[in-house]
Amino acid sequence: MDVVLADRLQFAFTVMFHYLFPITTMGIAPFVAFYTIKAWRGDREAETAAAFWTKIFAINFAIGVVTGIPMEFQFGTNWASFSSASGAVIGQPLAMEGTYAFFLESIFLGVLLYGKGRVAPALHAASGVCVWLGSWLSGFFIVATDAWMQHPVGYSLGADHHIRLTSLPAVLLSPFAWWQYLHVLAGAMVAGGFIIAGVGAYYLLSRREAALARRFVYSGTITALVFSMLAIFPTGDRNSATVTAYQPVKLAAMEGLFESTNGAPLAIIGMPDVHNRQLIDPVFVPDILSFLAYGNFNANVKGLNAYATELWPPVELTYYAYHVMVGLGTIFVAVAGLAVLWLVRKRLYDSRPLLWLLLLAMPFPYIANEAGWMTTEVGRQPWIIYGLMKTADGASQTVVTGETIFTLIGFVGMYFLLGVLFLYLTLREIGLGPSHEGVEGAVAEVRA
Amino acid sequence: MSIAAFVLIGFMLTMYVLLDGYDLGVAAITPFVARTEREREGSMRAIGPFWNGNEVWLIAAGAALFALFPKAYASSFSGFYLPLIIVLWLLMGRGVAMELRSHFPSEIWHTFWDACFAISSALLILLFGVALGNLLHGVPLDAQGYFTGTFARLLNPYALLVGLFTVTALALHGCTFLVMRTSGPATERARRLAPRVWFAALLLYALVSLATLIAHRFELSWTAAIPVLTLAAFAWIYAAVRGGRERAAFMASSAWLATLMLQAAATMYPYLLPNLNRSIPGISIFDAAPSPTALASALTVTIAGLIAVLIYGSYVTRRLAGKVSVGE
Repeated sequence: MDVVLADRLQFAFTVMFHYLFPITTMGIAPFVAFYTIKAWRGDREAETAAAFWTKIFAINFAIGVVTGIPMEFQFGTNWASFSSASGAVIGQPLAMEGTYAFFLESIFLGVLLYGKGRVAPALHAASGVCVWLGSWLSGFFIVATDAWMQHPVGYSLGADHHIRLTSLPAVLLSPFAWWQYLHVLAGAMVAGGFIIAGVGAYYLLSRREAALARRFVYSGTITALVFSMLAIFPTGDRNSATVTAYQPVKLAAMEGLFESTNGAPLAIIGMPDVHNRQLIDPVFVPDILSFLAYGNFNANVKGLNAYATELWPPVELTYYAYHVMVGLGTIFVAVAGLAVLWLVRKRLYDSRPLLWLLLLAMPFPYIANEAGWMTTEVGRQPWIIYGLMKTADGASQTVVTGETIFTLIGFVGMYFLLGVLFLYLTLREIGLGPSHEGVEGAVAEVRA
Repeated sequence: MSIAAFVLIGFMLTMYVLLDGYDLGVAAITPFVARTEREREGSMRAIGPFWNGNEVWLIAAGAALFALFPKAYASSFSGFYLPLIIVLWLLMGRGVAMELRSHFPSEIWHTFWDACFAISSALLILLFGVALGNLLHGVPLDAQGYFTGTFARLLNPYALLVGLFTVTALALHGCTFLVMRTSGPATERARRLAPRVWFAALLLYALVSLATLIAHRFELSWTAAIPVLTLAAFAWIYAAVRGGRERAAFMASSAWLATLMLQAAATMYPYLLPNLNRSIPGISIFDAAPSPTALASALTVTIAGLIAVLIYGSYVTRRLAGKVSVGE
């Protein structure tokens, strides 16, 4: 196997596994903060909810941290040429993630987990907000790093082809970064909403924890509806606009548009046949792609044929990832909308079919979030830094395929184990329920 | 500015050694001082709120190295591919053990994760020490600054000696922390263990110093003054431990580790990766730094962020301070 392919497989596997956990932490952090503050204000039910979601958060955070460290290391271990060339720029947001987000999140999670009764109640409540802020800031710095690889700004090329930073604010304030970040947040909040609602639905279906379950379903469905709409408009729409402007070949692959067309149709479904350059069994909506891309039903949208095949991203993967994301995103609006409608009619808590729907919906926001990142990253190929450096030139010169395969096998084994542990512990906590008093070992209290 | 960046990385790594050093040390000595499951849980509780924030110093130092010295980051991380991935796996084992042990009430479960935690922590200390030994001694690099040796080459006697010394040093640091932050039977055992670990550390320090002097052919520079500070702090630890002054012992141990880090930095300067093959220079802080604009912005942003971290970090640590007491 080619070493670049091995490096890519390892990165793809480790990052996709890792990202499952930040989706959850970013998605439920606001709920943890919300319930912690309510608890501080004297709401006993919220206190139970806060303790419960903090436990779920902590498991996700722990696995998110241990699977996140390899991501940061891999830039250096497997992508040394890329890191050496671009470290002056992308090292900055990554370093900021460490100093501005990780410390905040880790130090205050310590307070949230161990501080109850040891620190002032106000500090305990504030720590929930700090953890939330830390998790969202962390997401921003990562997206800013990625956005620079998608659309490099604030740099100049030195004589030795090394990339020099000219403006850090330009990197951090890049419009590509901001729309992508807001879209990522919307995606995480959709997941958070569906998780809270799904767990609530599970308790209602099992006829337990009635009071808390209703609160979970209530907050969860409303959050899911609001953010699934925000995921489409404006954040999804603006993201497409930046892709249209800066990465038109990615847009063509996402949409499966092989030929440049005036009044381009939008393919709702269909299977790309790259060899014959067509979609098989497509369902088209005429002129809509032109409208979505340029706000004009007759606009010319460039197809893949406008670009050399070496510059095409892998068409099938980009196309399917994008369609899975968009398809699921549309379904989320429908499911959450239906649930909220029933909520308004005051019949949701007794509607078992709808509660089942909410329960079974839980895994799908994860798929949509992962598919969205696949669209972005696979669609960026063959570039590691768009227009500046090819992925094939970014890998480490000194690491050979055998080494990468060895570590990949190690990661697959460890992550399989972590996945099993995670599922077991999380399902166990949910099964025990919020009202269950945690069996806290035999350790006595803490003296001041 | 490269010098400021070198000092900053050195500062972050020193903070890492002082802070994560105590929880690594506690993990490594827990099997020897805590006999029952309750006692082990007491140790874990003492470091529980802090270990994760402490470990961030390593992650942040790694990321700062990426931003401040991208070439050194790239060549060292890819050059030491396998050892680094092993460090990663140990960090993962340790983090998972710490966080997941409390989520299931079973003695078997706790025992398993406690063992996992102690072993991965002890191995991490040893590997960090071996890495330090290699950095002090120099590593074989080619003209592009890439490592040309093998993994086994990194486990040379000098590096292993430094590794063993590091294990005793952090075990001592862990002892002083445990004594300061817990009370119970395990605390008493840690109190009795501390002087013994102190003597072991003294012996190994003498051996490491001798080996270093031989390797450098007794060429002394101004840095020869640092061991005086080291020995002073070392004596202070002993006095504080014997005198039962718990906070002073931990402070002394921290000061002692800081002088050791200063010594290491002074030995390496101006190299980030000294070359064992003396005919080719290693990677120095001047070769590895990016443009002045990038360096200035990375320094400003990192230093501002760290000042905030130090302020709220020390505030939170004070609020959470207090002894974890384990009854009979």
